[in-house]
Amino acid sequence: MDTPKKPAPIVNDWARPFWEAARDNRLILQQCVDCGKHIFYPRIACPHCFSDNVEWVPASGKGTVYSYTVVETNAPSAFMNDVPYVVAVVKLDEGVQMLSNIVGCDPAEVRCDMPVEVTFEKLDDEFTLPKFRPS
Amino acid sequence: MSKLRGKVAIVGIGEVPTGRFPEKAAIYHAMESAKLAIKDAGINKDHIDFVMPTAALYSPQFNTELVTCRVAEELGLKNAKTNCQIFAGGSSGSCFLKLGGSIIETGVADYVLCVHADRLGTGVTAQGGIDLFSTAGISAEWEVPFGQHYSTIAALTTTRYQYETGCTDEQMAAVCVSNRKWAELNPNARFRKPLTIEEVMESKMLSTPLRAKQSNMLFDGGSAFILTSAERARDITDRPVYLLGEGSRVTHFVFSQEPDITRFGWRDAAKDAFGEAGLTPKDIDVAEIYDSYPVYQVIGMEELGFCERGEAGELHMRGDTWPGGKLPTTTNGGMLSQGHTGAGGGVALLVEAARQLMGKAGERQVPGARFAVETGTGGTYMDAQVSILGTEIP
Ligand SMILES: [Zn+2]
Repeated sequence: MDTPKKPAPIVNDWARPFWEAARDNRLILQQCVDCGKHIFYPRIACPHCFSDNVEWVPASGKGTVYSYTVVETNAPSAFMNDVPYVVAVVKLDEGVQMLSNIVGCDPAEVRCDMPVEVTFEKLDDEFTLPKFRPS
Repeated sequence: MSKLRGKVAIVGIGEVPTGRFPEKAAIYHAMESAKLAIKDAGINKDHIDFVMPTAALYSPQFNTELVTCRVAEELGLKNAKTNCQIFAGGSSGSCFLKLGGSIIETGVADYVLCVHADRLGTGVTAQGGIDLFSTAGISAEWEVPFGQHYSTIAALTTTRYQYETGCTDEQMAAVCVSNRKWAELNPNARFRKPLTIEEVMESKMLSTPLRAKQSNMLFDGGSAFILTSAERARDITDRPVYLLGEGSRVTHFVFSQEPDITRFGWRDAAKDAFGEAGLTPKDIDVAEIYDSYPVYQVIGMEELGFCERGEAGELHMRGDTWPGGKLPTTTNGGMLSQGHTGAGGGVALLVEAARQLMGKAGERQVPGARFAVETGTGGTYMDAQVSILGTEIP
Protein backbone atom coordinates (compact mmCIF):
# COMPACT_ATOMS: atom_id res chain seq x y z
CA MET A 1 0.00 0.00 0.00
CA ASP A 2 1.26 3.48 -0.91
CA THR A 3 1.91 5.68 2.08
CA PRO A 4 -0.19 8.82 1.83
CA LYS A 5 1.44 12.22 2.25
CA LYS A 6 1.94 13.37 5.84
CA PRO A 7 -0.93 15.52 7.06
CA ALA A 8 0.06 19.19 7.14
CA PRO A 9 -1.37 21.39 9.88
CA ILE A 10 -4.72 22.91 8.93
CA VAL A 11 -3.86 26.41 10.05
CA ASN A 12 -6.17 28.79 11.84
CA ASP A 13 -5.56 32.31 10.62
CA TRP A 14 -4.57 33.74 14.01
CA ALA A 15 -1.96 31.00 14.46
CA ARG A 16 -0.15 31.84 11.22
CA PRO A 17 2.75 33.69 12.95
CA PHE A 18 3.56 30.49 14.88
CA TRP A 19 3.98 28.49 11.67
CA GLU A 20 5.87 31.28 9.90
CA ALA A 21 8.36 31.38 12.79
CA ALA A 22 8.62 27.58 12.83
CA ARG A 23 9.55 27.71 9.14
CA ASP A 24 12.51 29.91 10.23
CA ASN A 25 13.33 27.39 13.00
CA ARG A 26 12.06 29.67 15.74
CA LEU A 27 9.59 28.67 18.47
CA ILE A 28 7.31 31.50 19.48
CA LEU A 29 4.37 31.64 21.87
CA GLN A 30 1.68 34.15 22.63
CA GLN A 31 1.94 36.00 25.93
CA CYS A 32 -0.83 38.01 27.55
CA VAL A 33 0.26 41.61 28.17
CA ASP A 34 -2.31 42.02 30.93
CA CYS A 35 -1.92 38.86 33.04
CA GLY A 36 1.56 37.87 31.86
CA LYS A 37 0.70 34.23 31.18
CA HIS A 38 2.07 32.35 28.18
CA ILE A 39 -0.50 30.90 25.82
CA PHE A 40 -0.37 27.80 23.65
CA TYR A 41 -1.94 26.96 21.27
CA PRO A 42 -2.54 30.45 19.84
CA ARG A 43 -5.90 32.02 20.73
CA ILE A 44 -7.99 34.97 19.63
CA ALA A 45 -7.99 36.21 23.24
CA CYS A 46 -6.20 35.27 26.47
CA PRO A 47 -7.90 32.09 27.78
CA HIS A 48 -6.96 33.13 31.34
CA CYS A 49 -8.14 36.74 31.67
CA PHE A 50 -9.91 37.16 28.28
CA SER A 51 -7.74 40.14 27.35
CA ASP A 52 -7.38 40.90 23.64
CA ASN A 53 -3.95 42.30 24.39
CA VAL A 54 -1.75 39.31 23.51
CA GLU A 55 1.63 39.46 21.79
CA TRP A 56 4.09 37.01 20.26
CA VAL A 57 7.30 36.33 22.22
CA PRO A 58 10.23 33.94 21.69
CA ALA A 59 10.02 30.70 23.70
CA SER A 60 12.97 29.14 25.52
CA GLY A 61 12.45 25.93 23.55
CA LYS A 62 13.19 24.02 26.76
CA GLY A 63 10.89 21.76 28.67
CA THR A 64 10.25 18.26 29.98
CA VAL A 65 8.38 15.19 28.77
CA TYR A 66 5.01 15.10 30.56
CA SER A 67 4.13 11.79 28.93
CA TYR A 68 5.18 9.74 25.93
CA THR A 69 4.47 6.62 23.92
CA VAL A 70 6.38 4.68 21.30
CA VAL A 71 4.12 3.82 18.37
CA GLU A 72 5.11 0.33 17.27
CA THR A 73 2.12 -0.86 15.17
CA ASN A 74 -1.32 0.25 13.95
CA ALA A 75 -0.02 3.69 12.98
CA PRO A 76 -2.16 6.00 10.84
CA SER A 77 -1.45 5.32 7.15
CA ALA A 78 0.74 8.39 6.64
CA PHE A 79 2.97 7.35 9.58
CA MET A 80 3.36 3.64 8.79
CA ASN A 81 6.94 4.03 7.59
CA ASP A 82 7.90 6.00 10.70
CA VAL A 83 7.41 3.27 13.30
CA PRO A 84 8.75 3.15 15.90
CA TYR A 85 8.12 6.86 16.55
CA VAL A 86 7.60 8.72 19.81
CA VAL A 87 4.52 10.83 20.47
CA ALA A 88 4.89 13.00 23.57
CA VAL A 89 3.19 15.75 25.50
CA VAL A 90 5.93 18.27 26.29
CA LYS A 91 5.63 20.78 29.15
CA LEU A 92 7.55 23.92 28.18
CA ASP A 93 9.38 25.96 30.82
CA GLU A 94 6.85 28.75 30.07
CA GLY A 95 4.14 26.52 31.59
CA VAL A 96 2.32 25.51 28.43
CA GLN A 97 1.91 22.00 26.99
CA MET A 98 2.20 20.84 23.39
CA LEU A 99 2.03 17.59 21.50
CA SER A 100 5.12 16.70 19.51
CA ASN A 101 7.53 13.92 18.67
CA ILE A 102 10.74 13.11 20.54
CA VAL A 103 13.56 12.65 18.03
CA GLY A 104 17.35 12.39 18.11
CA CYS A 105 17.48 9.44 20.50
CA ASP A 106 16.56 5.78 20.77
CA PRO A 107 12.78 5.71 21.45
CA ALA A 108 13.47 3.28 24.32
CA GLU A 109 15.44 6.01 26.15
CA VAL A 110 12.52 8.42 26.51
CA ARG A 111 11.22 8.87 30.07
CA CYS A 112 8.62 10.97 31.87
CA ASP A 113 10.02 14.29 33.15
CA MET A 114 13.11 13.94 30.94
CA PRO A 115 14.49 17.38 29.93
CA VAL A 116 14.13 18.15 26.23
CA GLU A 117 14.78 21.03 23.84
CA VAL A 118 13.17 22.07 20.59
CA THR A 119 14.50 21.07 17.19
CA PHE A 120 12.85 21.59 13.83
CA GLU A 121 11.87 19.13 11.11
CA LYS A 122 10.85 20.34 7.70
CA LEU A 123 7.62 18.78 6.49
CA ASP A 124 7.38 20.52 3.10
CA ASP A 125 8.07 23.96 1.62
CA GLU A 126 5.31 25.50 3.70
CA PHE A 127 5.58 23.74 7.04
CA THR A 128 8.29 22.96 9.56
CA LEU A 129 7.24 21.11 12.72
CA PRO A 130 8.72 21.86 16.14
CA LYS A 131 9.96 18.59 17.62
CA PHE A 132 11.98 17.83 20.75
CA ARG A 133 15.22 16.01 21.55
CA PRO A 134 16.91 15.16 24.84
CA SER A 135 18.84 18.14 26.28
CA MET B 1 -25.91 20.60 40.30
CA SER B 2 -29.24 20.14 38.60
CA LYS B 3 -32.82 20.05 39.79
CA LEU B 4 -33.53 16.66 38.24
CA ARG B 5 -33.03 14.55 41.36
CA GLY B 6 -35.84 11.99 41.45
CA LYS B 7 -37.87 13.87 38.82
CA VAL B 8 -37.33 11.68 35.77
CA ALA B 9 -36.89 7.97 35.17
CA ILE B 10 -35.85 5.44 32.56
CA VAL B 11 -38.81 3.12 31.97
CA GLY B 12 -37.68 1.02 29.01
CA ILE B 13 -34.45 -0.18 27.43
CA GLY B 14 -33.54 -1.84 24.15
CA GLU B 15 -30.32 -3.08 22.60
CA VAL B 16 -29.18 -5.16 19.65
CA PRO B 17 -26.12 -7.44 19.77
CA THR B 18 -22.78 -5.80 19.04
CA GLY B 19 -20.86 -7.26 16.09
CA ARG B 20 -20.24 -7.15 12.37
CA PHE B 21 -23.42 -7.30 10.33
CA PRO B 22 -22.63 -6.43 6.71
CA GLU B 23 -26.20 -7.18 5.65
CA LYS B 24 -27.76 -4.79 8.16
CA ALA B 25 -28.09 -1.05 7.56
CA ALA B 26 -27.32 1.21 10.52
CA ILE B 27 -30.91 2.42 10.58
CA TYR B 28 -31.97 -1.16 11.37
CA HIS B 29 -29.96 -1.10 14.61
CA ALA B 30 -31.61 2.21 15.54
CA MET B 31 -35.13 1.03 14.77
CA GLU B 32 -34.79 -2.38 16.38
CA SER B 33 -33.26 -0.90 19.56
CA ALA B 34 -36.01 1.73 19.72
CA LYS B 35 -38.73 -0.87 19.13
CA LEU B 36 -37.34 -3.06 21.92
CA ALA B 37 -37.19 -0.08 24.30
CA ILE B 38 -40.82 0.88 23.60
CA LYS B 39 -41.98 -2.73 24.11
CA ASP B 40 -39.86 -3.02 27.25
CA ALA B 41 -41.53 0.09 28.66
CA GLY B 42 -44.91 -1.43 27.85
CA ILE B 43 -46.20 1.91 26.61
CA ASN B 44 -48.16 2.73 23.49
CA LYS B 45 -45.67 3.87 20.82
CA ASP B 46 -47.86 6.92 20.22
CA HIS B 47 -47.02 8.23 23.67
CA ILE B 48 -43.52 9.10 22.44
CA ASP B 49 -43.57 12.81 21.72
CA PHE B 50 -39.83 13.56 21.52
CA VAL B 51 -37.30 11.57 19.50
CA MET B 52 -33.66 12.18 20.37
CA PRO B 53 -31.16 10.28 18.20
CA THR B 54 -27.37 10.52 18.47
CA ALA B 55 -25.29 11.32 15.42
CA ALA B 56 -23.42 8.48 13.75
CA LEU B 57 -19.73 9.12 13.27
CA TYR B 58 -19.50 6.76 10.34
CA SER B 59 -22.38 7.52 8.04
CA PRO B 60 -23.38 11.05 6.93
CA GLN B 61 -26.29 9.51 4.99
CA PHE B 62 -27.51 7.83 8.16
CA ASN B 63 -27.25 11.12 10.06
CA THR B 64 -29.44 12.75 7.44
CA GLU B 65 -32.01 10.01 7.93
CA LEU B 66 -31.93 10.43 11.70
CA VAL B 67 -32.39 14.20 11.67
CA THR B 68 -35.14 13.89 9.09
CA CYS B 69 -37.34 11.70 11.25
CA ARG B 70 -36.82 8.32 9.62
CA VAL B 71 -37.03 6.54 12.99
CA ALA B 72 -40.27 8.35 13.84
CA GLU B 73 -41.83 7.47 10.50
CA GLU B 74 -40.57 3.88 10.27
CA LEU B 75 -41.92 3.10 13.73
CA GLY B 76 -45.09 5.08 13.13
CA LEU B 77 -44.67 7.43 16.10
CA LYS B 78 -47.79 9.39 15.26
CA ASN B 79 -47.58 11.88 18.10
CA ALA B 80 -43.93 12.80 17.73
CA LYS B 81 -43.72 16.57 18.14
CA THR B 82 -39.97 17.01 18.07
CA ASN B 83 -37.09 15.12 16.49
CA CYS B 84 -33.66 16.48 17.44
CA GLN B 85 -30.19 14.99 17.18
CA ILE B 86 -27.85 15.14 20.18
CA PHE B 87 -24.16 14.36 19.96
CA ALA B 88 -21.29 14.49 22.43
CA GLY B 89 -19.31 11.43 21.33
CA GLY B 90 -18.93 8.97 24.21
CA SER B 91 -20.81 11.35 26.48
CA SER B 92 -23.95 11.21 24.37
CA GLY B 93 -25.70 8.79 26.75
CA SER B 94 -25.11 11.03 29.78
CA CYS B 95 -26.20 14.04 27.74
CA PHE B 96 -29.40 12.23 26.66
CA LEU B 97 -30.18 11.75 30.30
CA LYS B 98 -29.72 15.34 31.42
CA LEU B 99 -31.21 16.95 28.30
CA GLY B 100 -34.09 14.48 27.96
CA GLY B 101 -34.66 14.78 31.69
CA SER B 102 -34.78 18.59 31.52
CA ILE B 103 -37.23 18.49 28.64
CA ILE B 104 -39.53 16.25 30.64
CA GLU B 105 -39.19 18.12 33.92
CA THR B 106 -40.03 21.42 32.21
CA GLY B 107 -43.08 19.89 30.51
CA VAL B 108 -41.80 20.22 26.95
CA ALA B 109 -42.30 16.49 26.41
CA ASP B 110 -43.83 13.50 28.20
CA TYR B 111 -41.91 10.58 26.73
CA VAL B 112 -38.46 10.95 25.18
CA LEU B 113 -37.03 8.19 23.00
CA CYS B 114 -33.21 8.27 23.13
CA VAL B 115 -31.60 6.08 20.49
CA HIS B 116 -28.12 5.37 19.22
CA ALA B 117 -26.85 3.23 16.37
CA ASP B 118 -23.71 3.16 14.29
CA ARG B 119 -21.86 0.86 11.98
CA LEU B 120 -18.19 1.12 12.85
CA GLY B 121 -17.56 -2.61 12.46
CA THR B 122 -18.56 -2.93 8.82
CA GLY B 123 -18.71 0.69 7.71
CA VAL B 124 -14.93 1.12 7.74
CA THR B 125 -11.93 -1.14 7.06
CA ALA B 126 -9.44 -1.91 9.84
CA GLN B 127 -6.88 0.61 8.54
CA GLY B 128 -9.75 2.96 7.67
CA GLY B 129 -10.76 2.81 11.33
CA ILE B 130 -7.23 3.70 12.43
CA ASP B 131 -7.17 6.60 9.98
CA LEU B 132 -10.65 7.76 11.01
CA PHE B 133 -9.58 7.77 14.66
CA SER B 134 -6.35 9.64 13.88
CA THR B 135 -8.51 12.61 12.86
CA ALA B 136 -11.95 12.35 14.52
CA GLY B 137 -11.94 14.83 17.39
CA ILE B 138 -8.16 15.27 17.15
CA SER B 139 -6.83 18.76 16.44
CA ALA B 140 -5.97 19.06 12.73
CA GLU B 141 -3.53 21.85 13.51
CA TRP B 142 -1.84 20.80 16.73
CA GLU B 143 -1.94 16.99 16.93
CA VAL B 144 -2.78 15.22 13.65
CA PRO B 145 0.57 16.27 12.06
CA PHE B 146 2.47 14.47 14.85
CA GLY B 147 0.84 11.08 14.30
CA GLN B 148 -1.62 11.23 17.19
CA HIS B 149 -4.51 8.78 17.29
CA TYR B 150 -6.68 7.22 19.96
CA SER B 151 -4.17 4.48 20.80
CA THR B 152 -1.46 7.07 21.42
CA ILE B 153 -3.85 9.14 23.51
CA ALA B 154 -4.66 6.12 25.70
CA ALA B 155 -0.96 5.21 25.81
CA LEU B 156 0.03 8.75 26.88
CA THR B 157 -2.51 8.56 29.70
CA THR B 158 -1.33 5.09 30.73
CA THR B 159 2.38 6.00 30.69
CA ARG B 160 1.94 9.00 32.96
CA TYR B 161 -0.63 7.28 35.19
CA GLN B 162 1.67 4.29 35.77
CA TYR B 163 4.63 6.63 36.32
CA GLU B 164 2.76 8.56 39.02
CA THR B 165 1.02 5.65 40.76
CA GLY B 166 3.17 2.57 40.22
CA CYS B 167 0.20 0.66 38.75
CA THR B 168 1.69 -2.35 36.92
CA ASP B 169 1.13 -3.68 33.41
CA GLU B 170 -0.50 -6.77 34.94
CA GLN B 171 -2.93 -4.68 36.96
CA MET B 172 -3.86 -2.75 33.82
CA ALA B 173 -4.36 -6.04 31.95
CA ALA B 174 -6.61 -7.22 34.81
CA VAL B 175 -9.17 -4.58 33.82
CA CYS B 176 -9.60 -6.32 30.45
CA VAL B 177 -9.90 -9.69 32.18
CA SER B 178 -12.51 -8.36 34.61
CA ASN B 179 -14.64 -6.82 31.86
CA ARG B 180 -14.39 -10.04 29.86
CA LYS B 181 -15.77 -12.05 32.78
CA TRP B 182 -18.91 -9.92 32.55
CA ALA B 183 -19.06 -10.17 28.75
CA GLU B 184 -19.01 -13.97 29.06
CA LEU B 185 -22.45 -13.56 30.67
CA ASN B 186 -23.74 -11.00 28.14
CA PRO B 187 -25.44 -12.38 25.01
CA ASN B 188 -25.12 -8.97 23.30
CA ALA B 189 -21.33 -8.83 23.80
CA ARG B 190 -18.98 -9.41 20.89
CA PHE B 191 -16.16 -11.08 22.88
CA ARG B 192 -17.34 -13.88 25.18
CA LYS B 193 -14.39 -16.27 25.41
CA PRO B 194 -12.48 -16.19 28.72
CA LEU B 195 -9.38 -13.96 28.68
CA THR B 196 -6.25 -14.23 30.85
CA ILE B 197 -3.72 -11.63 31.96
CA GLU B 198 -1.07 -13.59 30.04
CA GLU B 199 -3.08 -13.35 26.82
CA VAL B 200 -3.38 -9.59 27.24
CA MET B 201 0.33 -9.23 28.02
CA GLU B 202 1.31 -11.34 24.99
CA SER B 203 -0.92 -9.49 22.53
CA LYS B 204 0.63 -7.20 19.94
CA MET B 205 2.15 -3.96 21.23
CA LEU B 206 0.35 -0.99 19.64
CA SER B 207 1.78 2.12 21.30
CA THR B 208 3.78 1.46 24.47
CA PRO B 209 2.56 0.37 27.00
CA LEU B 210 -0.79 -0.24 25.27
CA ARG B 211 -1.35 -3.68 23.74
CA ALA B 212 -3.93 -4.89 21.21
CA LYS B 213 -6.11 -6.64 23.78
CA GLN B 214 -6.18 -3.44 25.84
CA SER B 215 -7.78 -1.60 22.97
CA ASN B 216 -11.50 -1.45 22.32
CA MET B 217 -12.60 -2.80 18.96
CA LEU B 218 -15.09 -1.07 16.68
CA PHE B 219 -18.38 -2.77 15.87
CA ASP B 220 -21.93 -2.23 14.66
CA GLY B 221 -24.61 -1.87 17.28
CA GLY B 222 -27.38 0.14 18.78
CA SER B 223 -29.21 0.81 22.01
CA ALA B 224 -32.11 2.92 23.19
CA PHE B 225 -34.05 3.97 26.24
CA ILE B 226 -37.26 5.76 27.13
CA LEU B 227 -37.38 8.62 29.61
CA THR B 228 -40.45 9.97 31.31
CA SER B 229 -41.41 11.80 34.50
CA ALA B 230 -41.04 9.98 37.81
CA GLU B 231 -44.77 10.32 38.36
CA ARG B 232 -45.74 8.67 35.06
CA ALA B 233 -42.99 6.10 35.57
CA ARG B 234 -44.60 4.90 38.81
CA ASP B 235 -47.86 4.31 36.94
CA ILE B 236 -46.33 2.11 34.29
CA THR B 237 -43.66 0.11 36.13
CA ASP B 238 -42.81 -1.23 39.58
CA ARG B 239 -39.13 -0.48 39.05
CA PRO B 240 -38.58 2.96 37.56
CA VAL B 241 -34.91 3.83 37.27
CA TYR B 242 -34.71 7.35 38.68
CA LEU B 243 -32.05 9.87 37.79
CA LEU B 244 -30.73 10.81 41.23
CA GLY B 245 -27.76 12.98 40.46
CA GLU B 246 -25.55 14.18 37.69
CA GLY B 247 -22.32 16.12 37.50
CA SER B 248 -19.95 17.00 34.73
CA ARG B 249 -16.93 19.01 33.66
CA VAL B 250 -15.42 19.89 30.29
CA THR B 251 -11.63 20.07 30.69
CA HIS B 252 -10.13 20.24 27.19
CA PHE B 253 -10.61 19.75 23.48
CA VAL B 254 -7.02 19.20 22.30
CA PHE B 255 -5.74 16.24 24.33
CA SER B 256 -2.30 17.77 25.02
CA GLN B 257 -4.01 20.78 26.63
CA GLU B 258 -5.46 18.65 29.44
CA PRO B 259 -3.75 19.91 32.62
CA ASP B 260 -3.86 16.49 34.31
CA ILE B 261 -4.02 13.53 31.95
CA THR B 262 -4.14 11.15 34.91
CA ARG B 263 -7.24 12.68 36.52
CA PHE B 264 -9.33 14.81 34.10
CA GLY B 265 -12.51 16.33 35.58
CA TRP B 266 -13.91 13.23 37.28
CA ARG B 267 -13.43 14.26 40.91
CA ASP B 268 -15.45 17.47 40.67
CA ALA B 269 -18.08 15.89 38.42
CA ALA B 270 -18.53 13.03 40.87
CA LYS B 271 -18.74 15.38 43.85
CA ASP B 272 -21.67 17.14 42.22
CA ALA B 273 -23.39 13.92 41.19
CA PHE B 274 -23.05 12.17 44.56
CA GLY B 275 -23.91 15.41 46.35
CA GLU B 276 -27.15 15.78 44.42
CA ALA B 277 -28.06 12.13 44.92
CA GLY B 278 -27.26 12.29 48.64
CA LEU B 279 -25.20 9.13 48.26
CA THR B 280 -21.54 8.14 48.55
CA PRO B 281 -19.56 5.55 46.58
CA LYS B 282 -20.21 3.10 49.46
CA ASP B 283 -23.93 3.12 48.56
CA ILE B 284 -23.32 2.10 44.95
CA ASP B 285 -24.18 -1.49 43.97
CA VAL B 286 -23.07 -1.34 40.32
CA ALA B 287 -20.48 0.90 38.66
CA GLU B 288 -20.67 1.28 34.88
CA ILE B 289 -17.39 3.03 34.12
CA TYR B 290 -16.38 4.26 30.65
CA ASP B 291 -13.70 1.83 29.52
CA SER B 292 -12.62 2.52 25.96
CA TYR B 293 -9.15 1.62 27.29
CA PRO B 294 -8.37 0.10 30.70
CA VAL B 295 -6.66 3.19 32.10
CA TYR B 296 -9.87 5.22 31.82
CA GLN B 297 -11.80 2.68 33.88
CA VAL B 298 -9.05 2.75 36.51
CA ILE B 299 -8.90 6.55 36.65
CA GLY B 300 -12.69 6.79 36.68
CA MET B 301 -13.04 4.45 39.65
CA GLU B 302 -10.36 6.23 41.65
CA GLU B 303 -11.51 9.75 40.95
CA LEU B 304 -15.13 8.83 41.67
CA GLY B 305 -13.92 7.70 45.09
CA PHE B 306 -14.35 3.92 44.96
CA CYS B 307 -10.76 3.49 46.16
CA GLU B 308 -7.56 5.44 46.74
CA ARG B 309 -5.50 6.64 43.79
CA GLY B 310 -3.32 3.83 42.50
CA GLU B 311 -5.51 1.06 43.95
CA ALA B 312 -8.05 0.40 41.19
CA GLY B 313 -5.74 -1.93 39.27
CA GLU B 314 -5.49 -4.16 42.31
CA LEU B 315 -9.30 -4.23 42.72
CA HIS B 316 -9.50 -5.75 39.23
CA MET B 317 -6.72 -8.24 40.03
CA ARG B 318 -8.30 -9.56 43.19
CA GLY B 319 -11.82 -9.80 41.82
CA ASP B 320 -13.72 -7.00 43.56
CA THR B 321 -14.93 -5.83 40.15
CA TRP B 322 -15.83 -9.32 38.83
CA PRO B 323 -19.20 -11.07 38.83
CA GLY B 324 -19.86 -11.87 42.49
CA GLY B 325 -17.36 -9.24 43.65
CA LYS B 326 -17.85 -6.41 46.13
CA LEU B 327 -17.98 -3.75 43.44
CA PRO B 328 -19.45 -5.10 40.19
CA THR B 329 -17.94 -2.86 37.51
CA THR B 330 -18.74 -2.35 33.82
CA THR B 331 -21.11 -5.29 33.88
CA ASN B 332 -21.91 -5.49 30.15
CA GLY B 333 -18.21 -6.07 29.43
CA GLY B 334 -17.80 -2.49 28.29
CA MET B 335 -16.22 -1.26 25.10
CA LEU B 336 -13.31 -3.62 25.77
CA SER B 337 -15.51 -6.73 25.48
CA GLN B 338 -19.08 -5.89 24.47
CA GLY B 339 -17.50 -3.76 21.75
CA HIS B 340 -17.25 -0.08 20.90
CA THR B 341 -20.03 1.29 18.71
CA GLY B 342 -18.90 4.93 18.74
CA ALA B 343 -21.14 7.19 20.79
CA GLY B 344 -23.00 4.00 21.65
CA GLY B 345 -20.27 2.73 23.98
CA GLY B 346 -21.51 5.24 26.54
CA VAL B 347 -25.20 4.73 25.74
CA ALA B 348 -24.74 0.96 26.22
CA LEU B 349 -23.24 1.56 29.68
CA LEU B 350 -26.21 3.69 30.65
CA VAL B 351 -28.63 1.08 29.31
CA GLU B 352 -26.71 -1.56 31.31
CA ALA B 353 -26.99 0.51 34.50
CA ALA B 354 -30.75 0.70 33.96
CA ARG B 355 -30.92 -3.00 33.09
CA GLN B 356 -29.19 -3.96 36.34
CA LEU B 357 -31.48 -1.72 38.40
CA MET B 358 -34.57 -3.08 36.62
CA GLY B 359 -33.41 -6.60 37.50
CA LYS B 360 -33.28 -7.59 33.82
CA ALA B 361 -29.58 -8.47 33.51
CA GLY B 362 -30.07 -12.24 33.34
CA GLU B 363 -27.04 -14.32 34.24
CA ARG B 364 -25.01 -11.28 35.17
CA GLN B 365 -27.67 -9.69 37.36
CA VAL B 366 -26.21 -8.10 40.49
CA PRO B 367 -28.64 -9.32 43.16
CA GLY B 368 -30.73 -6.56 44.71
CA ALA B 369 -28.98 -3.69 42.92
CA ARG B 370 -30.56 -0.42 44.05
CA PHE B 371 -28.04 2.28 43.12
CA ALA B 372 -25.76 2.54 40.10
CA VAL B 373 -23.28 5.07 38.76
CA GLU B 374 -22.57 5.53 35.06
CA THR B 375 -19.79 7.58 33.47
CA GLY B 376 -19.29 8.88 29.96
CA THR B 377 -16.61 10.90 28.22
CA GLY B 378 -16.40 12.15 24.66
CA GLY B 379 -13.80 13.08 22.10
CA THR B 380 -10.28 12.83 23.48
CA TYR B 381 -11.66 12.44 27.05
CA MET B 382 -12.65 16.10 26.85
CA ASP B 383 -15.34 15.82 29.50
CA ALA B 384 -16.28 13.88 32.60
CA GLN B 385 -19.97 13.00 32.87
CA VAL B 386 -21.24 11.20 35.96
CA SER B 387 -24.83 10.02 36.41
CA ILE B 388 -26.29 8.33 39.46
CA LEU B 389 -29.39 6.19 39.09
CA GLY B 390 -31.52 4.32 41.58
CA THR B 391 -34.70 2.33 42.06
CA GLU B 392 -35.65 4.53 44.99
CA ILE B 393 -35.22 8.19 45.87
CA PRO B 394 -33.07 8.30 49.03
ZN1 LIG C 1 -4.40 37.19 30.27
